[in-house]
Amino acid sequence: MNASGKSKTIRLPLLGDMAVSFGRTLLGILMGLVASGILIAISGANPFTAYGALLRGALGSRYAISNVLVRASPLLLGGIGVALGIKSGLWNIGMEGYMYLGAIGASVVGVFDLGLPSFIHIPLCFLFAMAFAAVWGAIPGYLKAYRGVNEVTCTIMLSYVAIYLTNWVVSAFPPIAEIGAFYPMSKKFADSALLPILMRGSSLHAGPFIGVLLCLIFYFILNYTPFGYQTKLLGSNPHAAHYAGVDARKQMVKIMVLGAIIGGFSGAIEVMGLNRRVYMDFVTNVGYESVAVALLAGGNPIGVIASALFFAALKAGGATMSIETGVSSSMNSIIIALCMLFVIGVGVADGRRQQKIVDNSKDDESESKELETAKGEV
Amino acid sequence: MEENRYALQMQDITVEFPGVIANDHVSIDCKKGEVLGLLGENGAGKTTLMNVLYGLRPPTSGKIFLDGKEVQISSPYEAIENGIGMVHQHFKLVDTLSVIENVVLGIKEKKQKLDLEPAKKRLKELCEEYQLYVDPDEIVWRLPVGKQQWVEILKALYRDCKVLILDEPTAVLTPSESDHLCQAIRQIIKKGCSVIFISHKLREVMDITDRITVIRDGKMIGTIKTSDANQLILAEMMVGRPISIDRKPRSLYPQSEPVLEMHNVNAVDERGIPALRNFSLTVNSGEIVGVAGVDGNGQRELAECIAGLRKITSGSISIKGKPVTGVIADPSFLGFIPEDRQKTGLVLDFSIADNMIIKDYHEKPFAQKHMLQYKTIKKHAREMIRKYHIKTPSEDVKVRNLSGGNQQKVVIARELDPEPVLDIASHPTRGLDLGAVANVHETLLKERNRGAAVLFISAELQEIMALSDRIIVLFNGEIMGELDGESADQNVIGQMMLGQRAEVKE
Repeated sequence: MNASGKSKTIRLPLLGDMAVSFGRTLLGILMGLVASGILIAISGANPFTAYGALLRGALGSRYAISNVLVRASPLLLGGIGVALGIKSGLWNIGMEGYMYLGAIGASVVGVFDLGLPSFIHIPLCFLFAMAFAAVWGAIPGYLKAYRGVNEVTCTIMLSYVAIYLTNWVVSAFPPIAEIGAFYPMSKKFADSALLPILMRGSSLHAGPFIGVLLCLIFYFILNYTPFGYQTKLLGSNPHAAHYAGVDARKQMVKIMVLGAIIGGFSGAIEVMGLNRRVYMDFVTNVGYESVAVALLAGGNPIGVIASALFFAALKAGGATMSIETGVSSSMNSIIIALCMLFVIGVGVADGRRQQKIVDNSKDDESESKELETAKGEV
Repeated sequence: MEENRYALQMQDITVEFPGVIANDHVSIDCKKGEVLGLLGENGAGKTTLMNVLYGLRPPTSGKIFLDGKEVQISSPYEAIENGIGMVHQHFKLVDTLSVIENVVLGIKEKKQKLDLEPAKKRLKELCEEYQLYVDPDEIVWRLPVGKQQWVEILKALYRDCKVLILDEPTAVLTPSESDHLCQAIRQIIKKGCSVIFISHKLREVMDITDRITVIRDGKMIGTIKTSDANQLILAEMMVGRPISIDRKPRSLYPQSEPVLEMHNVNAVDERGIPALRNFSLTVNSGEIVGVAGVDGNGQRELAECIAGLRKITSGSISIKGKPVTGVIADPSFLGFIPEDRQKTGLVLDFSIADNMIIKDYHEKPFAQKHMLQYKTIKKHAREMIRKYHIKTPSEDVKVRNLSGGNQQKVVIARELDPEPVLDIASHPTRGLDLGAVANVHETLLKERNRGAAVLFISAELQEIMALSDRIIVLFNGEIMGELDGESADQNVIGQMMLGQRAEVKE
């Protein structure tokens, strides 16, 4: 019985674990694409040509790919910020607000020609962006940890404050705003504060690569450092974290602020790399999409890379699809939404299956095994 | 009513899992108005059998008859429809809802508007009838475990069950709560309802049941009338050898000095109600101080205050002269086996190796230069697995997938292996089977003989009396009296547990 019991346990090392979770996600995405295909067919287009156009729009040329990468940048950074929150049991979903605050922070030093070389001016902008966002993130962090305020409400509401604050800054705050422009916007960033373009004729900047790098770094931090251990401990079982002496409140504030800093950084990259000014509403919904990115990845930083690229590809390719086949451009959002639903659904079904495996072993196998040895010992 | 009509018959039930036969042609029957005891060690297959009855698991073969008619039960919903009620070992209540909301949960009403008043009225009648008094508006998580169980029972009664299954109902109860439960069971059978009482505790099974069916390793060993049985016979049927919890022999520890000192400690519980009142206690090295008492009389708060998890409102606590000011997470100083291992003591989704370092993940040798040293961590885990006989294929297995006894071994290994000066063991044997219980007792005695000060909190009087050098009895946050472990009398302790102070010692 012991032997048969042992052979029942399938050992999954790290790679196997990742393969299983990736496989699950891919299956969900596939099912989402099939379901969306049916909808495309109903709307009167051939789903195969539509998907073909989508694929070409996303990956058809170097420029298409660079476009996808540029779009992925804020999703990667925002996604990792949200994912950190998820791992520690916090819904830090105010990315949109942090991005705006980061943009304002960057513009405070970025729109002026300070006579600094780029390698000083750019980091200085980043520093200001992160500091502004950090303060913004510390507010819900403090309220959640020390006053018990729900962080979901708090971060969303603060996002709105951030949006309108930005609107005011770029339309009526003289040192920064371009007064009298056709659309509320800031002055143009100084040349020394602009991120270099990596590919001639495209708008590819370093943002997406920094994003991927950060995802990898945070994967490492979460799994191989005491800080990451503490984060996961708090997220998996706050009671046990308290019992083990973790200062849960401090850790909550840290995670919220860290997420905010990454969000602010991402906002700064957007304005310094892509827009070159702070426009009103320049990150419409990207902050919320990054929540979806993190959810699709299940909070796993490596998964964030895949899901951010997937989102970006759909967004970029969707434009081509709608131009070439006449499918409404809102089909993009539908495809994304269906894919997410199916990924979550597959996750739930798989969770139930694993629960069953656990149940069996709990009721019978392992306990009777234990009983045998216990008898032997007594 | 006809004589001898069976409320329930289960015939030749067989349940097979890959490689394991959990139930091997087991047959039980239960008459109307009868309490049938289902006795067996953990893992013997009792719960599996009841899960079949409750529609949670389809049997490989076998038949179920209710009231003489064969029925197919493939979901709990059908089981409830057929008048079967089940109180699981781990309660299935929604913590954040009120009692009445939990009771009506899942009952379909024609009306669109939820009106709880009639339900409340009905519940109050049931409370009255069975003397299980619960406030319908209280939120469930605020109730002590014993009362939560009443809610589960009332839930089943509210659905007019004919057969009530109680899965290890006393595992979480104190002696007096158990007595109360027994009274309630008698009330329930008086109304013609049948009760299946699952347990591995002989005394209660002897007390409450009419007949007993014993299961061992998935096989039915036999059914006997309780009046014909005695504890010895049952124990032998159950484990195939005689068992008893006798007082463990011990020698006086030579250099005894005070380790834990508490003076006039006051503390409150979550609701702000005083949980400890002017509590003073000294525990010395090399002794086990047993804390007896009905659960919910301040035991949890006592343990939490010492470990620094709960703030005291006045008084002082010190360990080895050092005052307790915050959470103590130094395992070489304080070993704390918390009462709820799954909720507090372990992170179920972490591996065994990760659970072993829960308190010193940031310290050498497990962390160096801000990096977790997984080589060392895994080696340490393997060592603990070997030393404490944790049954697992590897140190990477999630703790969730271990049995209760093995989960407890993980906690014990982590807490006691660093040889702390003070051990707090809070209900360390709760829900464990006999073999595992003996194991824990042995470990605690070893700790004492090593020279640790041991505070042993338990609701099981027998094990308190078997292990303790001194016994204190807690009632309503106060010490009712202190007794010597060698000469303590069960009846005296029992009286103190009900709030009577010790007579003046002669």
